[in-house]
Amino acid sequence: MKIGIYFCNCGSNIADKISSAAVIEAARSFPDQPFVNILDFICSEDGRLRFEESLKSEQPDRVVVAACSPRDHEATFRRCMTAAGMNPYLLQMVNIREQVAWVTEDPQVATDKAIRAIRGAVGRVRLQQPLERKQLEVCPDALVIGAGPAGMKAALSLAEAGRSVVLVERTPFIGGLPVRFEELFPALECAPCMLEPLMGDLLHGDCAGRIELMTMAELVEVTGFYGNFIAKIRQKPRQVSLHDCIGCGECAAACPATTMNGFNSSASERKAIDFAFAGVLPNAPFLLEGVCVRSKGEDCRACKDACPMGADVINLEEVETVVERRIGSIILATGAGLYDAAHVPGMGLGSLPDVYDALQFERMLSSTGPTSGEIMTANGSAPASVAIIHCVGSLDEDHNPYCSGICCQYAFKFNHLISAKLPDTIITHYHRELTVPGKEAHTLFQQAVQNTNTCLKRYERITDLAVSLADDGRLQVSAHGELEPADLVILCPAVIPAAGADSLSALLDVSRDSSGFFRELHGRLDAAQSTIKGVYLAGACQGPMDIQKAMLAGMASVGHTLAGLQPGRIIEIEPITAEVDETRCAGCRLCISVCPYHAITFDTEQNRSRVNAVLCHGCGTCVTACPAGAINGHHFTNAQIMAEIEGVLK
Amino acid sequence: MTESNGFEPKIIGFFCNWCSYAGADKAGGMQQAYPPNVQVIRVMCSGRVDPQFILSALVKGADGVIVLACHPGDCHYKEGNCRALQRHRLLLLMLEQLGIEKERCRLDYVSAGEGEKFNRVIHEMVAAVRTLGPLMPLPEHDSHTIRSDAPMSSVAAP
Repeated sequence: MKIGIYFCNCGSNIADKISSAAVIEAARSFPDQPFVNILDFICSEDGRLRFEESLKSEQPDRVVVAACSPRDHEATFRRCMTAAGMNPYLLQMVNIREQVAWVTEDPQVATDKAIRAIRGAVGRVRLQQPLERKQLEVCPDALVIGAGPAGMKAALSLAEAGRSVVLVERTPFIGGLPVRFEELFPALECAPCMLEPLMGDLLHGDCAGRIELMTMAELVEVTGFYGNFIAKIRQKPRQVSLHDCIGCGECAAACPATTMNGFNSSASERKAIDFAFAGVLPNAPFLLEGVCVRSKGEDCRACKDACPMGADVINLEEVETVVERRIGSIILATGAGLYDAAHVPGMGLGSLPDVYDALQFERMLSSTGPTSGEIMTANGSAPASVAIIHCVGSLDEDHNPYCSGICCQYAFKFNHLISAKLPDTIITHYHRELTVPGKEAHTLFQQAVQNTNTCLKRYERITDLAVSLADDGRLQVSAHGELEPADLVILCPAVIPAAGADSLSALLDVSRDSSGFFRELHGRLDAAQSTIKGVYLAGACQGPMDIQKAMLAGMASVGHTLAGLQPGRIIEIEPITAEVDETRCAGCRLCISVCPYHAITFDTEQNRSRVNAVLCHGCGTCVTACPAGAINGHHFTNAQIMAEIEGVLK
Repeated sequence: MTESNGFEPKIIGFFCNWCSYAGADKAGGMQQAYPPNVQVIRVMCSGRVDPQFILSALVKGADGVIVLACHPGDCHYKEGNCRALQRHRLLLLMLEQLGIEKERCRLDYVSAGEGEKFNRVIHEMVAAVRTLGPLMPLPEHDSHTIRSDAPMSSVAAP
């Protein structure tokens, strides 16, 4: 076997400490007696050219480059190998600059260390095999789960880029949480108005044809891998055709059955067939099966008979279906919810009247909400005093250890909106910490501070506070023993992942952090990627965030999808992966338990493990774990590593 | 060389590509010398370091082996360093039974930014093995029990 050692002087960086002459001399005793070629700056344009020319003329079978760190230029030299017509994986680099020349004082000692390392590399490179990057056709289309700000932004942007998108939403409507709010911090913009253009484009815009919106739907199964997923989606029956319904509401008017409306925090009634709330998009009602009198055996057709669009719009026989879609990537945008403040003792949520959490109060503020936007107590009067309690169940080891980062901002928005409607109302903010970051949040904060009817009180622990009923029947807040009356109490609980994150996590194998949010591949470098390749994260499902950040996160996830999967483009798979030698696999499945990427599946018929090269990241943990030695870690085989050990020790 | 007794330990270092190998490069960039006794074998992940590599290195003449991994929680491959730790703990039990001092086999964590820590860890490792002296050569027949082409049955749990 002909082996070439290319020794880079790196100017004086290496040459000052390591004698190339000694390397030439030592190489005579190396296996296969490699030739040694001394070059200056192989990474330079001139150096690369001379390296390539030498590869072409000498035609070595294997190549060792003794130079800088492979983390600097392994990719560069692999490209030279390819340019010279060689397989790039027949190269082994030896780091004689960062790990020898720069850190060894005595040139003799440095030369000795370098020679050992090069001998190890020669021993190893003899066993290296040409590896080919596998090519794979991919589907450029995407599945977006959740039609809140992040999911809508992602779906629409992908559609604008020409991609087909399946947008799956659990609720009957789009717009997520903010579409239920009246005004938003920091600029008091009307939420439905702000979202309207986005929602309009999504439903009826130029690109809407590429977006398949499935409301009242959920993901039930995903198979395959990056570029080639098959998703099964359960479509629950709405009993109303989105295609034909004109949203007139005649059906709701005719419906005899009522229940409390969960989308209005159960503070108002709805019919069995009704809209989630006024102005909802898609503009169509949905039927609550358990509430409909038909579920109690009555043969009611009032809604169907009332529909002015014909007998086909409402289909009372509609049943659940499961559809299958092929996609290349998945964007999780399942959003957030609020920590149940009933878990926090002393807050009175659910047990005392006129105690609301922030979502319930947002609905009270909304003109489409249960009080049509009037701020009132349960007995219908305007509150003379309001207590707003921040940090409920957050920054608290007994509940959620983190600060949600958005609550103070909406709390001061509440302050502004209450003051605007009820200027004489006394508002007391009870806060543990105050978080008003960024260039915009301070405005509402300053307004609250300057409001003479507003008082900010800091508490230490939530247990220092207690909401209770006074003897006169009014609510009161006790803070460190001091009593203040409060006709209305608004709680700002921790922002937590939306319900269903746990089952999605199990379904897709994406990890969650200790707070239950989807874990980013890297919190700073790859915050839009989940731990599973091809599954991206956007919005409050990855941590508490405001609408601005959720929209940005939606765009970031789109960036990954567009960059990674392009129509007609074939993705290349790095060949440094693990591969099971099926003749040696005993079927113990130890490899499956250690693989952090779920890249290994078990073939129960053959009783063999199999590595999916697309999902394998090449860490080699399974190679080491396999008790039968049946897994080959390409480019880092047992034999190659053993040869290197032997070489450096000789 | 620095020590008067003239013994220069041979040490094999298994460094993971993402943190500790990068940490070694960082130490290189700082251009502060450290003892030359550690010969580096780069692996993608410390989870790839088979305990038999370590035993084999000791059989073939190494006086010590150091495995450097990403800090817990920072593993590029999520948890390979935890596997390395599990295997390391079991290997130490085995080395003890073989009469090999546990100081000859060290697992530590060096991040890509910890050039100074890398330098210190190498100093400590070389000093520790220098104090222990050469590893008594294992009987010749032992070295035949580990073949480079043989299946590598792991001594450790997964």
